[in-house]
Amino acid sequence: MSDWEPKIASFLCNWCSYGAADLAGVGRMEYPPNIRVIRIPCAGRMSPKFFLAALTQGADGVWVSG
Amino acid sequence: MGLAKRKAIYVQYAQAVPLKYTIDKANCIYFIKKGKCGACKKICPTGAVDFDQKEEIVTLNVGSVILSPGFAPFDPTVFDAYQYAKLPNVVTAMEFERVLSASGPTMGHLVRASDQKEPKKIAWFQCVGSRDMNKCDNSYCSSVCCMYAIKEAVIAKEHAGKDLDCAVFFMDMRTHGKEFERFYTTAKDKHGIRFIRCRVHTINPVAGTDDLEIRYITETGELKTEIFDQIVLSVGLQIKPEIAELAKRLGIELTEGRFCKTETFEPVATSREGIFVCGVFQGPKDIPQAVIDASAAASAAGEILSEARNTLIKHKEAVTETNITGERPRIGVFVCRCGINIAGVVDVPKVAEYAKTLPYVEFTTDNLYSCSQDTQENMAQIIKKERLNRVVVAACTPKTHEPLFQETLTNAGLNKYLFEMANIRNQDSWVHKSNPELATEKAIDLVRMAVAKVALMEPLKEAELEVNQTAVVIGGGIAGMSAAKSLAKQGYETHIIEKGKCLGGQALNIFRTPKGEDIAEKLSGLVDEITKDQKIHVHLDSAITSVDGFVGNFKSTISSNGKNDVLEHGIAIIATGASAFKPSEYNYGKDPRIMTSLELDKKFMEKDPSLKKIDSAVFIQCVGSREPDRLYCSRVCCTHSIDNAIELKKINPDMNVYVLYRDIRTYGEREYLYKKARGMGIIFIRYSVDNKPEVKPEGEKIMVGVTDHILGRRLSLEADIVTLATAVIPNRDEKLANFFKVPVNDDGFFIERHAKLGPSEFATDGVFLCGLAHYPKPIDESIAQGMAAASRAVTLLARKKIHTSGTIAETMPAVCSSCGVCVSICPYSAPSFIEETARFFPGKAQINPVLCKGCGLCVASCRSGAIRLKGFDNDQIFAQIYELSKAV
Repeated sequence: MSDWEPKIASFLCNWCSYGAADLAGVGRMEYPPNIRVIRIPCAGRMSPKFFLAALTQGADGVWVSG
Repeated sequence: MGLAKRKAIYVQYAQAVPLKYTIDKANCIYFIKKGKCGACKKICPTGAVDFDQKEEIVTLNVGSVILSPGFAPFDPTVFDAYQYAKLPNVVTAMEFERVLSASGPTMGHLVRASDQKEPKKIAWFQCVGSRDMNKCDNSYCSSVCCMYAIKEAVIAKEHAGKDLDCAVFFMDMRTHGKEFERFYTTAKDKHGIRFIRCRVHTINPVAGTDDLEIRYITETGELKTEIFDQIVLSVGLQIKPEIAELAKRLGIELTEGRFCKTETFEPVATSREGIFVCGVFQGPKDIPQAVIDASAAASAAGEILSEARNTLIKHKEAVTETNITGERPRIGVFVCRCGINIAGVVDVPKVAEYAKTLPYVEFTTDNLYSCSQDTQENMAQIIKKERLNRVVVAACTPKTHEPLFQETLTNAGLNKYLFEMANIRNQDSWVHKSNPELATEKAIDLVRMAVAKVALMEPLKEAELEVNQTAVVIGGGIAGMSAAKSLAKQGYETHIIEKGKCLGGQALNIFRTPKGEDIAEKLSGLVDEITKDQKIHVHLDSAITSVDGFVGNFKSTISSNGKNDVLEHGIAIIATGASAFKPSEYNYGKDPRIMTSLELDKKFMEKDPSLKKIDSAVFIQCVGSREPDRLYCSRVCCTHSIDNAIELKKINPDMNVYVLYRDIRTYGEREYLYKKARGMGIIFIRYSVDNKPEVKPEGEKIMVGVTDHILGRRLSLEADIVTLATAVIPNRDEKLANFFKVPVNDDGFFIERHAKLGPSEFATDGVFLCGLAHYPKPIDESIAQGMAAASRAVTLLARKKIHTSGTIAETMPAVCSSCGVCVSICPYSAPSFIEETARFFPGKAQINPVLCKGCGLCVASCRSGAIRLKGFDNDQIFAQIYELSKAV
């Protein structure tokens, strides 16, 4: 087993998933600290360029939720 | 609730407002042992502990009082056969609710109290402390328990998995709220929750285990014994004795259920002038209805106090905004400890130290509580002193605290959009507490990303809009008239647009209220008031044919009798109502003796002499309601039919009156009518939807065949009249929905902003909703919602000016290729083409800043890259992405 950990860029919609991530905090639900959240006003704001940029910047995965 | 241990200093619950700690005097050593301990006072870094706080008596001069003292859940200890006090696995629904809660004693892990075992079988007992005169004094229905029991059963299955067996033991299933019938059906068919129609007498412990045994009779008359791991008592709502005392002191009348007495046409007025009531004290009700009442009570108080509006308002001094154009970014980073919420996990000083090394950062510090008032003032001082022109706060979440920090920026003379938050609490310290090192790394990354973004932020402008002070109400029924009356009394010019020839709507067809008030008399009083009011303009025979504009500035074309008028208004209230379903079953329309409820009402109103000659009357409930193609309960029909049945019985006490029903839904104190009807000898026979009654005119009589649920036999009833309680059908108006960009559900009812918290308004700003267009409801609830819609509208009208958000899209017409994707894709119709005759950029896209909600859909869809979203611009998001590369 390697100790490799993925780095995940996540784009969360301000109105649903970003709020849900906040609520996960209120509920003290633990999850691995591998994600870095970028708040977007709506999943509709997501551009293909953001995926590519995240991947070229070394993200192992991109998660869009909205 | 005693489900978990807590300390002598505690927060009542995670969502408490204000979210502050309190000392439990009965268990605090300082108070018990007179001054010993006091450790909390010594340790509290902000000096917030004050042992000397005393009760104070404050005298307030007010013009109106609103009572909303709430309810207490029924204490089932008196039900000795259920042994609630003795058996730990017999719990109340309120306790079970806490166990299901993520912030509850088991963090939402479903286990039973006695042995922390995960239950495999749970039963709910309905009507504990409701509809009961034996063990308690509450003969009313508590209105909410059927629905909350189904909800708890569904959530329990979500938590514990499909194998959990849930059984609800009930008398009548009362899912009369909006979308509730659908929820009930899904619970039955999809989630496999068992619904058993039986009131269970006794709970027995199973010797040697913590399990519980019950015996009950199935619908086919079979005696069954079943063992459950846990039993939830669906306890009712009741008014606390001290509230009844308060009512006595205030001199207001109560009902026999100890609720506040109100009248149908003044649903939130108590018997004492100037005192209003809302919530469960007005009658047992669920959240949406309580929210409606609350707004209605505010409106009622507003009506009598409208002259005093704004007389006690203090205005804030505006700070002039510093011009930062051309300045190099000077960023200040404030890292919050949030007590130990963040600092207990994340190495806050390390994060603050790190922030110093980032480009353009001129100042960093850490705060104990960034949101406290003194820190806010301090931050404003620092912004000025250090000449900061960008601010990052690394703390909780922008969802709750961004407005607060933005205000601090405004107070320091900075444009509020020169700000960014790094979420290092909700999305970091709270969720990675067993991994403090990585949590600190994450906080560092988030701060770096925020700094990179804020450096590119620019001051944004918010458009200021005048709110036109005129209101339009569409629909002149009871709800629409109540809304108009309330608006006019609060000083606003109001237009009622009614498609019919007179005001009144469906109320014109109804005989009387279940409380016995004569509707025609009350209605003509209301119509009189409306027509005499100088501020109300009634447009009969009229319809809206087009709507332009947006919140605060609508322009509608009203067409009446072939004449078109343009009306400018700030808000609109939709009260388009509903009508009675005309069925094709039960031989309706083929024999005048088979009629709808409203047709029977007409006979009552006309004092039809033929009513005296009737020997036998049959009522059939749920005609067109609660069926697959109309899966909702029409809410009013059970009460209406029972009231009419009683009326027939009064005309001729020897008359045989039968009510054929599926579930009797006389919710709240309407239950008394049901009890009275049974007492008068009205016979209730239950049928099921797959075995409906048959109605056949045969000579002199009408023969009604129905299978009796107790005997299991087909009965043949001879009737002189058959009354069909037909469904309430909304006046589906797609055109109007399109004009105001508001949604309609599958059944044709309008969809409100929020099912629970925003029942009388739309998600579209400036458009409100009331009456039957929202959902079937009786007159008192329609009036309350009319007043509620007015109240919501006044909150907007009273502001006179509104500001739009600064984070909106903007086109760069020089780059635009006029493809029209943005125009077609925008859900808010914000983009449009510049007119072909315009001098600059004809045919290119432009965005109306007032309509734009800043979602960015057009930005991502624009093939020319001609649209930017201010505050979430490409370069700003890319800056965040680029900073990811340095993340570990």
